[in-house]
Amino acid sequence: HFYVSTLRPNLLRSRALIQTLINAHHIDEVSLVDNATTAAAIVLQQIGRRFAHHRNDTVIMFRCAFPAVKKSIQAYVTRAGASVVEVDLPFPVSSNAEIIAEFRKGLSSAKSDGRKVRLAIIDHITSMPSVVIPVRELVHICREEGVEQVFVDAAHAIGSVSIDVQQIGADFYVSNLYKWFFAPPSVAFLYCRKSNPSSSETHHPVVSHEYGNGLPVESSWIGTRDYTPQLVVPAIMEFVNQFEGGSEGIMRRNHEEVVRMGKMLAEAWGTSLGSPPEMCASMVMVGLPSKLHVLSDDDATRLRSHLRDKHGVEVPIYYRAPKNGEKSESEPRDDHGLITGYARISHQVYNRIEDYYKFRDAINRIILEETSLQGCF
Amino acid sequence: MATHDHHLNGDTITNSTTNLAKKPKLSPSSTFITASEIQSEFSHHDPSIARINNGSFGCCPASIVKAQQLLQLQFLRQPDHFYFNHLRPGILESRTFIKQLINAHHVDEVSIVDNATTAAAIVLQRTAWAFAEGRFDKGDVAIMLHYAYGAVKKSIEAYVTRAGGCVIEVQLPFPVNSNDEIVHEFRKALEKGKEHGRRRVRLAVIDHITSMPSVVIPVKELVGICREEGVDQVFVDAAHGIGCTDVDMQDIGADFYTSNLHKWFFCPPSVAFLYCRKSPSCLDLHHPVVSHEYGNGLAVESAWIGTRDYSAQLVVPKVLEFANRFEGGIDGIKKRNHDNVVEMGQMLAKAWGTNLGCPPEMCATMIMVGLPASLGISSELDTMKLRTHLRDNFGVEVPIYYRVPKDEEVGVITGYARISYQVYNKVEEYTKFRDAVNQLVCDGFTCALLSK
Repeated sequence: HFYVSTLRPNLLRSRALIQTLINAHHIDEVSLVDNATTAAAIVLQQIGRRFAHHRNDTVIMFRCAFPAVKKSIQAYVTRAGASVVEVDLPFPVSSNAEIIAEFRKGLSSAKSDGRKVRLAIIDHITSMPSVVIPVRELVHICREEGVEQVFVDAAHAIGSVSIDVQQIGADFYVSNLYKWFFAPPSVAFLYCRKSNPSSSETHHPVVSHEYGNGLPVESSWIGTRDYTPQLVVPAIMEFVNQFEGGSEGIMRRNHEEVVRMGKMLAEAWGTSLGSPPEMCASMVMVGLPSKLHVLSDDDATRLRSHLRDKHGVEVPIYYRAPKNGEKSESEPRDDHGLITGYARISHQVYNRIEDYYKFRDAINRIILEETSLQGCF
Repeated sequence: MATHDHHLNGDTITNSTTNLAKKPKLSPSSTFITASEIQSEFSHHDPSIARINNGSFGCCPASIVKAQQLLQLQFLRQPDHFYFNHLRPGILESRTFIKQLINAHHVDEVSIVDNATTAAAIVLQRTAWAFAEGRFDKGDVAIMLHYAYGAVKKSIEAYVTRAGGCVIEVQLPFPVNSNDEIVHEFRKALEKGKEHGRRRVRLAVIDHITSMPSVVIPVKELVGICREEGVDQVFVDAAHGIGCTDVDMQDIGADFYTSNLHKWFFCPPSVAFLYCRKSPSCLDLHHPVVSHEYGNGLAVESAWIGTRDYSAQLVVPKVLEFANRFEGGIDGIKKRNHDNVVEMGQMLAKAWGTNLGCPPEMCATMIMVGLPASLGISSELDTMKLRTHLRDNFGVEVPIYYRVPKDEEVGVITGYARISYQVYNKVEEYTKFRDAVNQLVCDGFTCALLSK
């Protein structure tokens, strides 16, 4: 009975709400899937099929693209014969211009020797290190340069920045609703521009009764499972509208607070932020004191566990390898050496200033008391 | 409902000798679950409905739902801690539990996925790559049953036909009278597939228990025939398998075997296992949703496919506690479900003057019961309309199958109801169905009367 009378109409309601939120033109362009990882598989599987006919063409993406997405490219695109060109993300970064310049460089390389760039994967907000990317500009450049399809991986976007898919102009755009938009795990939307000729070739990899009826309909039934996270979108709207300014108000306050907290921490530790405030949304990268000696990805992981287990602080840590050598003036530094570790702090409505003080004090204590750092974490 | 002591003929219900049946501490007889405790465990079911269709969506007892909710809350409380410290060991525990249940040799052979539909996509995607990468020749064959589940047929279309493979369907008789009829048709289809040695049969997709119409297929025998006849690999789709019939991987001998745990094994929606017999080709199996663990083996890949709710997968071992409150544990449940569904099926067929779709030894916990011909079921659309009519106006939930009359058949039964029996069912639900149909017949009802 639920299947027949409740599931379909409620999924449609959820999709309609998202369509409005992101300014999509047709509800057919909005599908609900589990998460961005699933959306990537959908888009890349479709791209991979096209490569069967055009080997040695290229795909371009950021080197810091989410690792799961990189694996998906390996599984569906590289395996089908394409080459991948990776764009370095300058970090720390001071302006959009730096990112745009790197991207143009990457595109040239991808197009070299007469190759066609079949796909560009662009993060809206990168994961680690976290920075807001000027997607609109980059998509525009892709169109100018003849890139065939553009897929924006905006896992963090909805609930953290405004989204207008007409302005952004990508062929595919995915965002998770359970990260910043208060949905339970897990639900994401995948937007597929109608005008993209591949949209009819895009399928959910878990094939069920609705195969061939369009991605939104295929995704709405992929066998018996719990679809409730996909059904609660209307309830989320009720929740956010309890806050002043609704979703916009929440986003704005999260941004202001995370920047404020980031600056507070950087000042307390004598470090710096990874990007200017206008290049972050509700997350910011805060340099960790060089005295912590975070010198590898492993160190970053162990520091994270140490903070969780011994100091009751949950925060992801990023290791940034020096690019140009220790003596270089362009490397980020504090008074004691190179900054090689960054914490990605977030702010959501449940956070309080005490959470960040606790983090500040934990780091200070580690430096003061736990002098044999190699041993402690 | 009194328990029956029938000793069943046939090879579908045997006394299980899996490790698990020997190990668990069953409740002493004085503390077996009572009838009222059973109703309490399923008090969240709609009481106004005769729910005689466990086969479609399964069921989940309240104590398992509660265990699942605790896991969900645990995740929400501190997701990073859950992810780093609890998730993987929890999934491994579930996989180990299943491995014992199904008599697999290595836990690496057991992956957990959402449902049989996902498992089919995994197996079939591998076939598609084999065609694309030239390991299979265009025109090589995949064999499936005509009654294969609709979603699986679509998956075969998407991943095999589309990749250049040729699909051959095994025509199955229904009603069916013996395993021999099925074996005969299967051999015929295999012959056609091999086409005098001109092409290879790369994959046979065989249902353990077909969905509509529902019949237990002699999979062990068919797997044996596949081996004799040089079929590369066999995939058994046992969506209805576990908790419904015996599931022993060594005994059945398939390369791939999937079963849903939310249908007959009391798990919440949704969780299934995919068993892959250890072999070099296992390395080539991947979950279609590719994440960090890509390349680390299907079981590990499937244990992380991005952020989502894994609680249904983590709660699996708790089912044993629930099942062991019943006399005989899960095996006792299976046996009584079988005995009861046969008894109910025979009661209905007698009351309506119709017949069953197959002999009792060819069914497990579901059975096809012929509906009176006067109901005038003459299309699949009629079955949907009649099903809705029974749900909305009589409070009976039961799927109906349309059986196309063959040439020269007149006045035959064209509609069959697939009734299920699970621990929460009671005789009254089947008599409610009996009476509903009798009333329809009495009123001169035909499907033609139902508006579009």
